[in-house]
Amino acid sequence: MGSSQSTQKITAQDRAILDLKLQRDKLKQYQKKIQGVLDREQEIAKSHLAAGRKDRAVIALRRRKYQQSLLLKTDGQLENLEQLVSTIEFSLVEVSVLHGLKQGNEVLKEIHKEMSIESVEKLMEETQEAREYQREVGDLLANQLTLDEEDAVQAELRELQAQAVRLPIVQVELPSAPTTQPVVSEGDQCAVALLHFLIRC
Amino acid sequence: MAHSPQTTPSGFLLPSIHSAPPFFTEQPNPNTQAQHTEQWTRIILTYARHKRLFVLRVEDAAVPGGDWDEVLRNERINRRMLPSHLSSILASMVSKNLAVYEPPKQIHAVLLYWRLPEEWADVLHSWATATGQLNTILTYYEITDPPVPSPLSNMPLPLLRRAINVLTRSGRAQIIGVADGEGVRLFAGGK
Repeated sequence: MGSSQSTQKITAQDRAILDLKLQRDKLKQYQKKIQGVLDREQEIAKSHLAAGRKDRAVIALRRRKYQQSLLLKTDGQLENLEQLVSTIEFSLVEVSVLHGLKQGNEVLKEIHKEMSIESVEKLMEETQEAREYQREVGDLLANQLTLDEEDAVQAELRELQAQAVRLPIVQVELPSAPTTQPVVSEGDQCAVALLHFLIRC
Repeated sequence: MAHSPQTTPSGFLLPSIHSAPPFFTEQPNPNTQAQHTEQWTRIILTYARHKRLFVLRVEDAAVPGGDWDEVLRNERINRRMLPSHLSSILASMVSKNLAVYEPPKQIHAVLLYWRLPEEWADVLHSWATATGQLNTILTYYEITDPPVPSPLSNMPLPLLRRAINVLTRSGRAQIIGVADGEGVRLFAGGK
């Protein structure tokens, strides 16, 4: 029920393409038929020649030649038809590309309508203003600290710095790196073998 | 060693029962006959799939030299399927929807369903998708005899029609008719 609504409408174009394709198929079938006749005539000519009837063989070959010329002609027609079919199909692709471009353009226009230059400028201006305002507010707040307070802050900073300098530096004794090649003792070998075994498991 | 699986010249493996003489004659016991019919059905369908045969005629049992000789005859035990036997097997296959009489209204030839029309519909649809032929108009000849061989090559028209009908019912195909013949357009839609 719903299927008939969801399918595309059959247009005159569709019918024209189908007609062309059907014609092409007919030509192909015709070619097959002629090819069959060609092969048969050759066999006939061969058998006539084998039987020593040369004139008959010539007639068969002549008929074959005629069929061959037909085949060549249909080849030309087939080429025409196939070209036409491909041209139409390609044009359909172009039409759909054009349609796609058109729609894309529409969408772009819609978007641009919402994003006119004036509104962008206005927006940027407003943003600038907002930033200025923010800065002013910040300045006001910063200036609320009195000079005394500022001095106290600076003193505290100095105190902290002095503490950092006074931290004692502890000398750490580190073990030195070995200078000889490591030697594998028997016990170590057993351990290594066990390790290998475990890895393989 | 008569009762062993045999491989035919075309590479088809016949089951051992194919070498049993009684298998070729209709059995009076209905149970045995039913079993034999089932075996025959399986052999016929797998052989048809193996050699891509679509049609089986009662005539194939009567006249040698056809596509079905390897199955319907067994020269080693000098047995062959009788046409009456074959026609009863065909009737049973038709009743089980493993084949249909084609053309309809006769009982001498069947179209074998080694793929059901629904399965053929899927094959057709995936072929069209894989070859980028969705939304283009295809003639039936183009489908059954494509320049590049496909799983649908040489498919008989009645079977193709059935497959397309399945697709139209699910909205995946549309049949277009003109004075000279028919064509079909496949859609991605559906599932």
